[in-house]
This record gives sequence, C-alpha cells and structure tokens, in this order.
Amino acid sequence: MTDVRTSEAGHGTSEAGHGTAGEPATPPARPRARSFGVLGWARWIWRQLTSMRIALVLLFLLALGSVPGSLLPQQGIDPAAVQQYYTAHPSLAPFLNALGLFNVFAAPWFAAIYLLLFTSLAGCVLPRALRLIRSARALPPRAPRHLSRLPNSTRYETSMTAGEAATVAAAFLRRRRFRLNQGDGWLSAEKGYRREVGNLLFHIALIGVLVSISVGGLFGYKADRLIVEGSSFADTVTDLDAFHPGHLVSASDLAPFTLTLNKFSASYIPSGPDRDQPDNFVANVSYTAQPGGAARTYNLEVNHPLNVDATKVYLIGHGYAPVFRVTDGRGKVVYNQATPFLPADQSTYLSEGVVKAPDAHPQELGFAGVFLPTAVDVNGQLESAFPAPYEPAVSMIPYSGNLGLNSGAAQSVYQLNTSGMHRIATPVQVLTPGQSMKLPGGAGTLTFTGYKQWISLQVTYDPGQAPALISGVVALAGLVLSFLIRRRRIFVRGYDAGSGRAVVEVAGLARSDVGGGFDAEFAELAAGLRAAHGGTDPAAPSEPGAGTRPAGDGADRAGPAAVAAPMSDNERSVSSEGTE
Amino acid sequence: MSDNLGLAQLSDHLLIVAVVIYSLAMLAYAGDFAYGRRAKATASAKTARPVPELAGVGISGTVSTQEPPQAVTEPGQPPAAGPPVAADPAAGGRERLGPLIRGAIALTCLGLALHLAGVITRGLAVHRVPWGDMYEFVTALTCVTVLFFVALMMRYRAWHLGVFLTGAVVVALGLAQTVIYTPAGPLVPALRSYWLAIHVAAMTLSVGIFFVAAVLGVVYLFAERYARRVAAGRSLPGHGIMRRLPGAEELDRLTYRTVVFGFPIWTFGIIAGAIWADQAWGRYWGWDPVETWAFITWVVYACFLHARATAGWRGKRAAYIQLTGFACLLFNVLVVQTFVTGLHSYAGLG
Amino acid sequence: MLPSSIAVRRAVGLAAMAAAGVLGATACGGQIAASTPASNGVNFVSGNGSSSYFKPGSRPDAPAVSGTTLSGARLSLSSYRGKVVVVNFWGSWCAPCRSEAPTLAVLAGQYRSKGVQFVGVDIRDSPASAEAFVQNFGISYPSLNDPADEIALAFRGTVPPAAIPSTLVIDRSGHIAGRVIGQASEASLGTILADVTAGT
Repeated sequence: MTDVRTSEAGHGTSEAGHGTAGEPATPPARPRARSFGVLGWARWIWRQLTSMRIALVLLFLLALGSVPGSLLPQQGIDPAAVQQYYTAHPSLAPFLNALGLFNVFAAPWFAAIYLLLFTSLAGCVLPRALRLIRSARALPPRAPRHLSRLPNSTRYETSMTAGEAATVAAAFLRRRRFRLNQGDGWLSAEKGYRREVGNLLFHIALIGVLVSISVGGLFGYKADRLIVEGSSFADTVTDLDAFHPGHLVSASDLAPFTLTLNKFSASYIPSGPDRDQPDNFVANVSYTAQPGGAARTYNLEVNHPLNVDATKVYLIGHGYAPVFRVTDGRGKVVYNQATPFLPADQSTYLSEGVVKAPDAHPQELGFAGVFLPTAVDVNGQLESAFPAPYEPAVSMIPYSGNLGLNSGAAQSVYQLNTSGMHRIATPVQVLTPGQSMKLPGGAGTLTFTGYKQWISLQVTYDPGQAPALISGVVALAGLVLSFLIRRRRIFVRGYDAGSGRAVVEVAGLARSDVGGGFDAEFAELAAGLRAAHGGTDPAAPSEPGAGTRPAGDGADRAGPAAVAAPMSDNERSVSSEGTE
Repeated sequence: MSDNLGLAQLSDHLLIVAVVIYSLAMLAYAGDFAYGRRAKATASAKTARPVPELAGVGISGTVSTQEPPQAVTEPGQPPAAGPPVAADPAAGGRERLGPLIRGAIALTCLGLALHLAGVITRGLAVHRVPWGDMYEFVTALTCVTVLFFVALMMRYRAWHLGVFLTGAVVVALGLAQTVIYTPAGPLVPALRSYWLAIHVAAMTLSVGIFFVAAVLGVVYLFAERYARRVAAGRSLPGHGIMRRLPGAEELDRLTYRTVVFGFPIWTFGIIAGAIWADQAWGRYWGWDPVETWAFITWVVYACFLHARATAGWRGKRAAYIQLTGFACLLFNVLVVQTFVTGLHSYAGLG
Repeated sequence: MLPSSIAVRRAVGLAAMAAAGVLGATACGGQIAASTPASNGVNFVSGNGSSSYFKPGSRPDAPAVSGTTLSGARLSLSSYRGKVVVVNFWGSWCAPCRSEAPTLAVLAGQYRSKGVQFVGVDIRDSPASAEAFVQNFGISYPSLNDPADEIALAFRGTVPPAAIPSTLVIDRSGHIAGRVIGQASEASLGTILADVTAGT
C-alpha cells in the first residue's frame, strides 16, 4: 500500500514508502547512467507488487475472475450441469474448459491472482507492522511554528506564565491519554495509534483466513453416505459412498464413529398455497464415537448437524427405499432388502430406482421402475399426488440377461444397464405393499413387501474451520477499529506577553476524519484547556478573528502541506484511509 | 402457527400507501427546486470569503459561521472546494427551509412511518422476522435506506437530496409490490434458524446503507461534472438544481462515510452467512453463485476504500468503483438469487 | 425437503427432470448433486488394484477381529493363529468384488495346503444377496457378516482397508503383511501369498 503523500503542494509522488534506497535521485536533465541489474529489477518488481495501485488492480481481477465461476456450471459443485453444458454447447465448451472456466476456483490463474494479492498484502503489511512496533514509543513531532495556519486553532490570553501554562496543558492532555512531547515553549500531543493497529490487524487476519482455508483443504475431507432406516454405517473409507479427501489425508485419519439411523420422519404441508412443501424432517440417530463406546442418540435435522469429535454429520436429503424380495427361477430368494429410490419430482416425491439380482439363476434379473408415495390414477397415468406415503405403490419393469456387474466395471446403483439385457414381456403392474409380480416362464417373482425411508448424509472434517472463523472475527474487529479511531494531534504554544501574562495558542490536526467529529472534539478540548488556563480573549487581536485564516493570505494555501510535513518526517506510514 | 392473513393484507396496504406518500414527497422536493425561494443565509459578509475545505469551528470570541449549502461558489474558486456543510449543526447558520421542502420532509417521514409499519405487520403476520424472502427483503432494506437517509440528513441537512432518494425508493418498492411480490407464507425448513435474524438482518442493513451511498454517488457524479463545467466556464455557477445541492467534495465525503458505515456490516453479514451455511449445508464457503457475488461485491467495495487512499483515483474514478460495487450487489440480489440455480435460491418466487 | 425453494422446483420443472431421466444426479441441478449420495451413483470408493507388502519385522499388529459368519456361527481371527489369514472385504453389490471372486476362489484352493485361510468380510449386504453370491461363485471359505462395516474400523490405525474391495494378508504370527486396494489379481495377491508363505 502506498503511503499517502502529503503532497498537496503537487510534487510527483513515488510509489511505496519502504524507505529503501532505490535508485539515486537524479535531476531530470541528466540521462540515466546505468540500467537495472537483476537485483534492481527484482526490487522494482517487488515495489510495484506491494504498491496500492497494483493491489487495486489485483482486487479487481479477483472480483472479475470470480464472475465466470458464478455464472458457468462448476465441476466442483455440479458436475452433471457441466456435462449438460457440454452437450448444449459442444463447440464452446472445450474452449472454456481449456481456460479453466469450469473449475474457476481451483484454476491456476485464479490461484495466481489471490496468491499475488496476498503476497502484495503481506509485503506491505509486515513492514508496516514492524514499523508500528518500532515506533510504538515514538513521540509526536514538535509543534509547528505557526499554529494559526492549522485547520483547527484558537488562541487566548492567560494570567499564567508560559511555563505554567505548558505544565497545566500537559497535565490536562495526559489525563485524556494523549502521548506528549514537550519542548521549549511548545507541547505536542497525539492520540489514536490504535487505528494503525486495527488496520494491520484487519489485513493480517485476511492472511489468516487464507491460511485457514488452505489448512482445511489439505487436512480436511468430505464424504457422502446414504443410509436406510434401521441400518448403520461406520466412518471408514470402505463404508462411504463418496470420499473427497484433502491432499494430506489418509484413511486412518477418519474419526472412528458408527452411526445408526433409527427413524426418519418428515411432514409436509397438506393444503394451501404451500401444499407439498416440506414442513419438517427429523432423523433420529444413535451413534458411538469409538467402537465399543457409549451409544448416544441425536435428532439430526437441517440446521442441526451432529458433531462427533470435530467431525460434523449433516442431513442433506431424504427419500424412499421400497423393500423388494426377488425369487429367481429356482425358487430361491436372491434379493430381499430396502432399495433406495431417488426422488424425481421434488413436490410429489415420485421416485425412480432399480433392483439388481446378479446371483439369480438361470438368468440374472433386473427391475427398473417407480415408487409413488401417494399413488393416484390420472386418466390412466400413474402419478403421485402427495409426498407423504399415504398410498404407496410401485410399478417395475422386469429385465433378464447380463447385468454387467461381473466384469468389474462400477455401475450406478440407481441405473440399470440394459445393453446386455432384454425386457421380459409382461403387462405393466402396479403393486401395493404385499403384492407380487410373477414373471412369465417361471423366471421368478418380485414382491413389494413395504417401504422404508433413507437419508443422505454428508460427513465433513475441516480443521481450518475454527481458525477461519476466528480470523474473520478478528478482521471485522480490526476493520471497525480502524474506521472508528481517529489519529489526531494537538499542539500548544505559549508566548510570554509581558506583565505576567502569556498568550496560548492551541491547534489541532486530524490525519483522517472519517467520523467527522474532530471539529467537535477539538472544540471541546480547546474549551477545556482554555478553562484550565483561565483564558480570556486576547486584548488587541493582531489577526482578524481566531479560527480563520488571515484575510487574503493566499500563501497559506500551502499551509497544510508545510504543517503536515513534520508528520511525514517521523513516520512514513499513514493509515490507508488517507485524509479527507 | 398459521399466518394471519388479515395482518398480511394490512401490511400490503400500508406499503402501497407508503409508496404513494413517497411519490408525493418526491414531487414536493422537485417542486422546491422549481418554485422554492432560495433560503437566505443568516451569516453576514463572510459568505464570500473562501472558506478552506477542512475548516473546523474555531473556538473563540467570534464563531465563524458556515455557509449553508445553497451558497454560490464564487467564480474563480477551485471548483472542488464547495463550501462544506456545517459539521456541527449547532454552530448556527442553519438555513431556513421553504414550505415546499418542509412539506417534502414531512411526507418523507410519514412515508417512512407507514413503511416501517408495513414491514412490522408483515413480520407479525408470519410470526417471524420480516425478511424471509425476496419481497420482504426488498421492503425491509428500502425501509433501512430511508431511515438512514433521514438520520443522515438530520446531521448534514442536505434535504434536497431527498428527491433522488425517494425516487429510487419508489422504484424499488414498486418492483417489490409488482414483480417480486410473494404472499405471506412459512419458511422452508432450511431457513428456520435463528441465523435468519442475524445474517439477513445484517444484509438488509448493509444493502440499505449501500443503496443510500449509491444514490449519493450518482448525484456526486453529476455535481462533479457540473463543477468542472463551471470551472471551464461552460456553465453558470449556482444554476438550477445544483445550487440547492451540496458541492461535489461534500457529496464525495458523504458517500465515503456512508460506505464506511455499511462495509463492516456487510462483512459481518458474510461471516454470519458462512457460519449459517456451515450449519445448513455442511461447508462454510462453497462458491455458490450468491456467495460468490457477495464476495465480488465485498472486493469491489474494498477496492473503493483503497482507491480513495490512492492519489489519482479519488473523486470520479472512486465513485465509479462504488457504483460498480452497488451494481454487483443489485445483480446478486435480483438476478443471481432468482435465475441462477444454487443452494441459495430462497427468493420464493413462484 | 432439500434446501431448495419453490422457485427451483417450478422453474426447473418436470420437463427438465424428465429429460434427465433416471440419472438422479441431474434432477434439480445443484440441489440433488448436493443431496444425491455420490454424484455418479456408484456409492462406494473403489481402488486401483495397487498392492503393498511389508517385510517381516516392519509389519504392524493385526487387530482382534471377531463376529458372526453368514451362516450364523461365531468366528474369531485369533483362532487362525499359526496360519496365514487373507481377509477380503466384499459385497455382492460391488462389481469389482464380483470380478475378483473367481480369482479368490482359485487362490484359496491353491494355498489351502500351505496353511492359508481365506476369510471374507461381507459389508452392506443383506443375507439373501450375500447367500446368493456365495452360492453363485462357490465360495468355500467363511465370511463374516458386517453390515455396519465395524471390522474395517478395527483396522484403522494399522493398515486400513481403503476401498472396496480390499484384501489384507496377515502372517502366521498375527501381523499384517500386505494389502491390495481394489480388485485383486493372481499377480498382485498371488505374489504376496507366495512371499508370506515362504517367510520372506
């Protein structure tokens, strides 16, 4: 971040005030005698990188780069949508993919932007932090000679001597926690150093957020699991549906808990404008944190995840799992379990799924069909009227042949690969619980015995979560601090005016006046000082009125620059908010 | 608990009447521009003195009065140095407001009262905080906007800016009542959490405040252009609307302070949203479209704050950045939440 | 139910979902992708068939494992101390497990005389399907019934089975000598068995 130069006088400013030597200053007329060496280039690049201008550009690029990540389907969030995009835009999609636009936030160019930004940030913030620490005990600069040129000033007479007045003023300001510097006939007071602390805290906390996110990405994992009522699962890789580990995660790092779904209940709004909308769902689960540990129960709901040993289990979705029993051609029961079906319609929960019996003889059997929670006949078409299971029914289409499972290629458990199968010709049947469908030719029987419900869970472990939150809160605190606190200086000068009286001049300057309250604060301080000194109006004003500039004194336009110059001598860093 | 339809209807009626009152207020503001007498300042000959920009109130025997915003900038003065509004309203020199502008202010406050009542009755009708879907969000945030503007003007007394603000609010509320309108109803289970009150409240507050900043920013651009034209001699100083409005510098400062007020609240809203997302969706940040656009908006406003500290980027360029930030915000609220599929589609639009 | 809104349901519409077909992962866009167990519906973590072998002396202890077999009898791995035990995690629903089953049956028969005992661990299966699988492939060795996959938990911290199928080889003194993650082949598992039975 560039230091704000107090350059109202209009001198050209150079970027980045690290105070390093850089090139020697040459008068414009003389041509440059030598060019950059490698070190010179490195230094120049570093200085550019840590300048405010480049920080602005990088911030803009970061925002701009996020735009395609929000408008195009992203691989990490919805791979199926990416596939759809490919089919919809066959020529454009590969080009966008080459640019990394289907996975923007993991793309190298996006990483380059934020890494550069954070390098720039660190390269500016850390030296400023060091400077702040070093100047933690630094004194305010000496008071300028002409206090009346400052934006806020006042003067009055007092019956104390100049020395006494200085002592009284020092005590007054010290009580108000100003840091003081005194000299012969002058007093400087400064307050509001915490502003820079807040500023730096905010920026350092941003780095903390980035580090936390990286830690979470490296050491954390995310996993999915669908579980049917009555069954259990253990948090191991072998028992998860999908496992997305960070780079430094191994199978042993998973918390060894076991979870059982006892019962899932969902209720839906039966009537009115919000009919079919879900009203509430609760999954009652039991879990043990370690094998052999004590079993606990918990009511898992959306917005109420289960926390086991810093691993969180979230309720993501739910659906129906009709229970089927399949008897094969020999009369043996080759399949008898609840089969999760996926809801195809969110409002009526009409669900689709398949049954695979690869060990059936003489032929492998497969069934594909629908489950309807509340089946109704609408003009000969079977539909579900309501998502609650008031009239459960299934309708399955039988296939026989080769399911393709024995070849070893993994298949979706919700899809039937019918390329190696032929459909068994039989009229379409709708089965209610307890009913069976007999396949022709003694090929087997499918019985719909009942239904259960399933829930889908997400298991997440993110060690960077708590640090990220803390960093965020610290950033917010630093931000508020830097906005609220003003850095301001008060100067007091006393002149002996003869006959035991002294003239006291008080002036003030705010480096940044966001809240705009400095005028009021100065007024209050000046009034207090005046009261402490027992001040009276000057007898014969040599300057017309106090608080205003001498009339027609156009040269005073340079005043603020000259006055502010002493400030820049002592410390180069100024809060990034700048002057108003 | 079922929703109280009677209260919901009352809420709708109150809001419609509020829109009408705001429109009348806007007419009154405009009327004051056209027909109001230029209010006399109570200050004396010091009006013509070039008052330095950062002039505070000196404490001494005489109090240097601050020129009310309507004063003419003298020809030849640096165009940007419009006379500042009195930082301390008690410092005297308060301008006398004409009857039309007083009527406009009264109508604004009346409209605000009705607006507030409409938002509250909606909340009572649905037995929860009144910002659960897009319609409620827009009505609540415009209420914050007007409230903030009134509070701001009580301090800075640039009431003539009200014409722009009431106009913008009328448009927003009109959209809410027609296109975005959703009847009162219960929340989807995912939204039933105390975080709704925290996260969306923070968003409502900050968007309402950014709305004020955006309106001020637009006015600033016009004021800045006008000031440049005055300096170039192409326009008369004190012409038309511009003599009633604060100078460009003052508007710039007001805009900055408003953004500074809203930015930490926006940051807090994002953090609260992340905490809630973690509870509901299993991760605190997933680059969901709405999350991403909230991030983009945050970055652009951060750009604005940095730009103001960079010499050469202040003034017009910074104003453009600020307006870009608000445009991102509008895009987020109106387009992304509605049309882009994601986890955050709670608009409730049918 | 899912964190969606009426907007998404009605906006996406039945048309889109009908077009998406049975691919559960695509209906309703982002919501189902977040809620569907595994975005491709495969529902298990598979391995690539890689194997690892531990030399004597650097072999971790095998945990105590016991349970009920598919036929209802109690079985404990410690009863096989003195023999080489091959623990194979499988499920009848898992395609690579079905593909490797004939290989395992062959190897089980081949190495029985050398004091190698195969034990299966059947996870996420129902008794009917498991029984049908065993009959279909002629599996002669016993399998522990472990619907909740607790046995895999026991191996956590040592050499965990990191995919389905996984095969662990435990030497005669009860230490884990090797592991195959994914489908086992004559080459991968056979080599391990040859080395373990030879004592190297």
